[in-house]
Amino acid sequence: MNHTVETVLHLLWTFSQLSVLGFGGGKGIIPQMHADAVERYHWVTSQQFTQFYTIGKLVPGPTTIFAALVGYAATPGRPLVGAAAATIGMFLPSSVIMVGFDSLWDRFRASPWRTLIARGLAPAIVGLVWSSVLTIGRGAPANAVAYGVTAVVVFLSLRTKIGTPLLILLSGAVGVAAHL
Amino acid sequence: MSVESKEPGLLEIALTFASISSTAFGGGQKASVRQQVLNRGWMDHERFMDGLEIAQVLPGPNILNLALYCGQRVRGIPGAVAAFVGASVPPFLIVLIAGALYFKFSTNPYVHGALRGCAAGALGLTIANALDLSWDERADWIRLLIVAITALAVSLLKMPLLLVLVAFGGAGIAREYLSSRRKTPKIV
Repeated sequence: MNHTVETVLHLLWTFSQLSVLGFGGGKGIIPQMHADAVERYHWVTSQQFTQFYTIGKLVPGPTTIFAALVGYAATPGRPLVGAAAATIGMFLPSSVIMVGFDSLWDRFRASPWRTLIARGLAPAIVGLVWSSVLTIGRGAPANAVAYGVTAVVVFLSLRTKIGTPLLILLSGAVGVAAHL
Repeated sequence: MSVESKEPGLLEIALTFASISSTAFGGGQKASVRQQVLNRGWMDHERFMDGLEIAQVLPGPNILNLALYCGQRVRGIPGAVAAFVGASVPPFLIVLIAGALYFKFSTNPYVHGALRGCAAGALGLTIANALDLSWDERADWIRLLIVAITALAVSLLKMPLLLVLVAFGGAGIAREYLSSRRKTPKIV
């Protein structure tokens, strides 16, 4: 089989699985995405993965759009095809579930299952976010200046109303100034 | 009193969500959607809040699910398709431009420094998010225990996501079920 075609199929299948498991807005899928994209298929390095995740947070729209960049890197001969495959895989399956739910909405509305699922899954999702911290940390720079930037951003994010893109851009400015 | 009083065109739906998805970040997106759909008379507040809850319970990005809900409520499946295109194509194009620039310039020392700085910042945001979400769980030590065990199982044992959701998601649902039964008297 043609190498690009094979990669495209792997991208579609990998991101489709992440899509249907993307509870909590997709916050919990980062460790699994890293395991697939970096460790299993070697589409990107750990550092690229972290930088793509960063770009996902910097651009408007869902963070998980950075799947497109993983696809872009995975198919060097046809980057747009890989990017499109990863994005379709990431967004289409969960959308089909959402739309297919239409007939169940009214019944689901009064059902105790709604809060049961939302509140019940929350602790596992939070655990996955902690694990994402380690995943993203693996590709982040490991030196005193970078640790300082990270610590200041944690503080500013929790204590002020400065928006996400601005905090990332300010971190980038420090990175340029400090030749990080 | 009809809820879907005005029936918007598919192009209007697509453009509405395209303008939100290409300009709004994080939590601001939901507020923008709410403002747009209420101002345009597509649905009332109650319907919108229903959609928001469903969008957050089901898998997928909240903003995309919310767009699909609104599109489908006003124009059925074609409306959902229009909303999907509007909510996903602009971020896709923007991230593609960012990607093309990344592969062209990431070895430039200034861009390299900026990217590494940005990565350190994004790590900080993720830590802040984890702290914030954990703080919300502080009332119940069993829920906090599930948080800790999940983090360890994923980080140390590389437990697959599906298994994590079944085992620890299932444990959380069981915990929630038992504590909700204790709080509220049985309704028969």
